[in-house]
Amino acid sequence: MIGDRILGILLLLLAVVYGWEASQFPVPFGGAEEVGPETFPLMLSVVLGLSSIYMIVKPDPDQEWPGVKTLLDLGFVLLVLMIFSAMLAPVGFVISTTLMVGVLCWRMGARPMAAGLTGIGSAVVVYVLFNFVLELHLPAGILELS
Amino acid sequence: METISFLLQGFAVALTPEHLMFAALGAMLGTLIGALPGLGPANGVAILIPLAFSLGLSPAASLIMLTSVYAGAMYGGRISSILLNIPGDEPAMMTCLDGYPMAMKGKAAEALAVSAIASFIGSLLATVGLIILAPILARFALHFGPAEYFALFALAFATLGGITGKNPVKTIVAAALGLMIATVGVDISTGNQRYTYNILELYEGIDFIIAIVGLFAVSELLFFIEKHVGEGLTAAKLNKLNLKMKDIVEILPTSLRGSVLGFISGVLPGAGASLGSFISYTLEKRMVGSKGNFGEGDPRGVAAPEAGNNAAANGALVPMLTLGVPGSGTTAVLLAMLISLNIQPGPMLFTQNAELVWGVIAALLVGNLMLLLLNIPMIGVFVKLLSIPPKYLMPVVTLVAAVGIYSISNSALDLYFMVGFGLMGYLLRKLDVPLVPVILGMLLGPEMELNLRHALTISDGDWTALFSSGLSIGIWIVALAGLLLPYVFGPILRRRMERARDRLEVPEEGD
Repeated sequence: MIGDRILGILLLLLAVVYGWEASQFPVPFGGAEEVGPETFPLMLSVVLGLSSIYMIVKPDPDQEWPGVKTLLDLGFVLLVLMIFSAMLAPVGFVISTTLMVGVLCWRMGARPMAAGLTGIGSAVVVYVLFNFVLELHLPAGILELS
Repeated sequence: METISFLLQGFAVALTPEHLMFAALGAMLGTLIGALPGLGPANGVAILIPLAFSLGLSPAASLIMLTSVYAGAMYGGRISSILLNIPGDEPAMMTCLDGYPMAMKGKAAEALAVSAIASFIGSLLATVGLIILAPILARFALHFGPAEYFALFALAFATLGGITGKNPVKTIVAAALGLMIATVGVDISTGNQRYTYNILELYEGIDFIIAIVGLFAVSELLFFIEKHVGEGLTAAKLNKLNLKMKDIVEILPTSLRGSVLGFISGVLPGAGASLGSFISYTLEKRMVGSKGNFGEGDPRGVAAPEAGNNAAANGALVPMLTLGVPGSGTTAVLLAMLISLNIQPGPMLFTQNAELVWGVIAALLVGNLMLLLLNIPMIGVFVKLLSIPPKYLMPVVTLVAAVGIYSISNSALDLYFMVGFGLMGYLLRKLDVPLVPVILGMLLGPEMELNLRHALTISDGDWTALFSSGLSIGIWIVALAGLLLPYVFGPILRRRMERARDRLEVPEEGD
C-alpha cells in the first residue's frame, strides 16, 4: 500500500514538473505550429499524471522490503559500482576491476581470498581478451608501460 | 515462389563460412547464457549488443550472431528448469512440471533430449510460419498511415502486460516513463532542446542500450544480493542418454500441436511465450487424458510446452519484423539491436533490406539445426555450468556488462547512468512495475512521436484524425480490449497457472 502510494506521489510530481517544463519550451525556429516539440510531452504528462493518481487511490498490496542491513548492503554495492566507474579511466582497468569484482564477490558471500582471486583473474582475462584479441582498448591507467 | 527465391538468397548470406562461424558462436554463447542462473535471454542479448557493435561486425554478422544467441538462450533456459526445477524465465515454467519429475526418476538426459527435439520442431515450424506470414503482413502494413502507426504503438503498449498481466495501470506508468526518457535530447523535427539542462552528453538523448543493461543486468545483481543467494545449487544427476526412435515418434504429434498453438500465441499481440507454453501444455494434457501421467514425468509434458514456447518466441518475430512492434521482452531487445544497427523494422524492411531479413530468417533455421546438433553431445558441459555459484558469476557478469557499456563511447557518465538505471530497475521491480514497457517506450518513443506529428500536421491539428479511418479505429479497439481484458480474464488465467505450479510443489516437499 505505502510503496505504491509513495511511488504514485513521486510520479505525480514528476508528471507535473515534466509537463510544466514542456509548456515552457521556447517557440521553435520558424514559428509555432499546431504540433510542436511540446505536444507529445504534454500528452505523456497527462497520461502519467492520471495513472499515478490511480495508483495513489487504489494501491496494490505491498511487497516485502528487506531489512536495514540488506538495504545498506545494496547501497554499498551501488557505491562500489559508482567508484568503479569513476576509477576506470584514471586508475586503469585492471586495478579498478580487481577491486570491483573482488568486493562484490566478497559481499555476496565468497571468502576474501577466493573473492580477490576471482577479481584479479577476471580483470586480467578480460583485459587481455579485449586489448589483444578483440582490439578494443580498455584504459591501462597507472599500469601503463610508457 | 518469390518468397522461396528470397529465402534461397537468405541462405546464401547465412551459409558463408564467416556467418556460419558467428551463428555457431552465438548459439554456444546463447545456450551458456540461458543455462547460467540469473541471466535470461533478454539479459544476455542486451549485454552482447554493445560488444557486437564495438567489434565492428557487419550488420548481417551481428544480426546472425545475436539471433543465434536468442535461439540458444531459449534452449539453454530449459536446462535449469529440468535439472533444478528453477525456470530460467517465465515461459520455461511449464517445462518444470514434467521435466523435473523425469530428472528425479533418473531420466534427466532423456528429458533434455526430448526438450531439445521439441524445441527444434517448435522453432522450425514457427520459422516456416514466419516465412509465410511475414511478407503477407508486411504487404498489408503498407496501407498504414501515421494515424494507424500511432494507434499500433499504443496497441503494443496496451497488450504488453499480456492477458496474464497483473495491473494494467502499472504497465501504462512504465510505458510513460520509457517514452519520457525517449524525449530527452534535441528534438529531431525542430532542433529544440528538451530536458537536456545544457548537459552536452544529453543532447543525443539517453542510449537505450545503457538503460536495458542497467534495468536488467544491474537490477538482477541487486536482487541476488537482497536474497543472499550466493551458493550454487546441486543439480539432478545426469544419466547416460538412452533415447529410442520410438520415444521420438511418441512425442512428434505433441510437438506439432504445441508448435501450432505456440506460433499463434506468439503472433497475437499480448499473448506471448508464457501463454503459448501454458496453452500447449494444458491442451495436450486434456487431449491425452488419463492415459498419460502428466505431472509425474511424462515426456509429452516436456515436449508440449517446449515446442509451444519456442514456436511462440519465433512467432513473436512476425509483428516485430513487419510492424516494428515487439510483443515480448526479448523481441524488444532484438528490436533495440536492429535500431542500433540503423535498421528500422516495419513493412519497408522486407523491400529495402530484403537480403538482411532473409539472411536472418535463414540464420534462424541454420542456428536451430546447429543447436540441436550441439546440444545433445555437449549437454554435459552446460550442466556443469549450472553449478557455478552466483557469488562468483554475478560480479563477473556485471563486469562484462560494464565493459560493454564503456566500449560504446568510453565515457564514465554512461556507467553512472547504467548504475542509476540499475537502482531504478530494482525499485520498479520491487513495486511490481514491469520493466519491458520502459524499454519499449524508449525504443518506440521517437517513432511514435513522429507519427503523431505527421498525423496531426496532415490534419492541421485536428485530433480526431487519429480515429478517422476504419483501420485505426479497429486498432484502437483492440488496444482498449488489450488493456481491459486482463481485468476480466487475468485473475482466472493466473489462478490456473498458479494451481499448476502448486501441484508441482507438492511432490517436491515430499522427497
